[in-house]
Amino acid sequence: MSTTPVIDVDHLNLTYGDFQAVRDLSFQVGRGELYALLGTNGAGKTSTLETVEGHRPPSSGTVRVFGKDPRERAAVRPRMGIMLQESGFSPDLTVRESIRLIGSLTQRNDNVERLLGITDLTRKATTRVSQLSGGEKRRLDFATAVYGTPDLVFLDEPTTGLDIQSRDALWNAVDRLREDGTTIVLTTHYLEEAQQRADRIGLMHQGTLNREGTVAELTRTLPATIRFGLPPHAPMPPLQATREEDGRFLIETFGLQKDLHTLLGWAQDSAVELAELEAGPTRLDDVFRAIGNA
Amino acid sequence: MFSIARGELIQLFRNRLVLVTSLILPVAFSAFFISRHETFAKLGSLGYIAALTLSFITAIGLYTTTVTTLAARRQNLFLKRLRSTAASDSGILVGLLLPITVITTIQVVVILAVLGAVTGLPKNPLLLVVAVFATVAMMLALGLATAGLTNSPEHAQVTTLPVTLAVLAVASWIGITGTEQLSLLKRLLPGGAATELVLNSWNGGASVADSLVLLGPIAAWLILSVTLATRLFRWEPRR
Repeated sequence: MSTTPVIDVDHLNLTYGDFQAVRDLSFQVGRGELYALLGTNGAGKTSTLETVEGHRPPSSGTVRVFGKDPRERAAVRPRMGIMLQESGFSPDLTVRESIRLIGSLTQRNDNVERLLGITDLTRKATTRVSQLSGGEKRRLDFATAVYGTPDLVFLDEPTTGLDIQSRDALWNAVDRLREDGTTIVLTTHYLEEAQQRADRIGLMHQGTLNREGTVAELTRTLPATIRFGLPPHAPMPPLQATREEDGRFLIETFGLQKDLHTLLGWAQDSAVELAELEAGPTRLDDVFRAIGNA
Repeated sequence: MFSIARGELIQLFRNRLVLVTSLILPVAFSAFFISRHETFAKLGSLGYIAALTLSFITAIGLYTTTVTTLAARRQNLFLKRLRSTAASDSGILVGLLLPITVITTIQVVVILAVLGAVTGLPKNPLLLVVAVFATVAMMLALGLATAGLTNSPEHAQVTTLPVTLAVLAVASWIGITGTEQLSLLKRLLPGGAATELVLNSWNGGASVADSLVLLGPIAAWLILSVTLATRLFRWEPRR
């Protein structure tokens, strides 16, 4: 198997006039990976993604996709599917016509009815795009992006506006693509999706890649949390609380299992009921907030 | 390219507003010119009717539709969508503009054939063919350049007015007053040389060599428009 990365971004800079949207960004995505590029608003995700997709040139630095400049459309696009953040379909064409049109321009082959099926748009096949809901347009977008099972798929906010069934169906389709070896680049505001799905995550903030790694690698840099409430006049717990507000305690710890065991043992021995006890590992949200607050 | 053209053709016939402005309106006005050919011939000549018809169809049908189509496809991000595929930029533009170009050309050919059948054939049909193709190419290029200055289909109603009015006014001015006076100015105006070429082909009286010189100003407008288009044309809405 080739070790050449599917995407290789090296010291990328993007400027718009005086504004530097992306600075000195480097990352790689390997074959078959699901890489989530996340970030705060205005972090430079969309600019980065559009450059990697070949929609705009880098101000400096290099971007290679399948070893080629992604602006070489004829060479790169037949292996690539792109789900844009905004729809971009002709309102007067039907769903089936739209898939057929965009599909025919990918230079890949597929069955339009199959795509209508996996995106649950069969009943809307003859409906004009102008009459679709926001969620249906996202599904149409997904159908065109995965037409012909490309080697690389960009999913820009794929589940925004989708109901839970549609989200599940979309992720099932993504899972099947991954079984076929497709590389996925994902951006999303739903962090739990990235946490569940991504092999690796790049967290962007103010135009730079602030952190990168697996979910475990990213979350182990921050402590886990235990939250609980105590009844009035209860003795103080044996652990040092990070914060205490209105009888609610927050304990941050890198030894979650040990500290939780200590706390529960103390509560049992002291006959204290821990109200609304919550304990869990660090979530991606916490890492995200830590970056935003830094 | 042909799949894009097929999609555009479908949309052209589904959008009533575009259908009326790009197809029905030019045909209706041309039919009026032909039905009143004696009146218009007295104002200028039979060549004047041919020139006015060509200007009207290419200005209203081709030029305006080109600008409106490109602005609309850009505004709803369809151009960006097409650029997300393996299609080349030139293939996308050709695909988008091929249907209206073919329809316009067919309209012009049919209407001029009807005019010829009603009033008599042009003196030099081959020159007329050259005039038609040169005018279509020039108006397409002007449309590409104007699309670069146009943010939306609504905006196109304003940005297309100068060229549309100028081309129609110049065709009438030259058709009625002839080319003896201010000939250089008339030839340099947008659509001026094309109008003179049509007059020469329909009415006769000018040598082919003298007529072909008129392709110079048309080519100049074409090159200027394409140059402007390469600088001004945007594939995505302004952020």
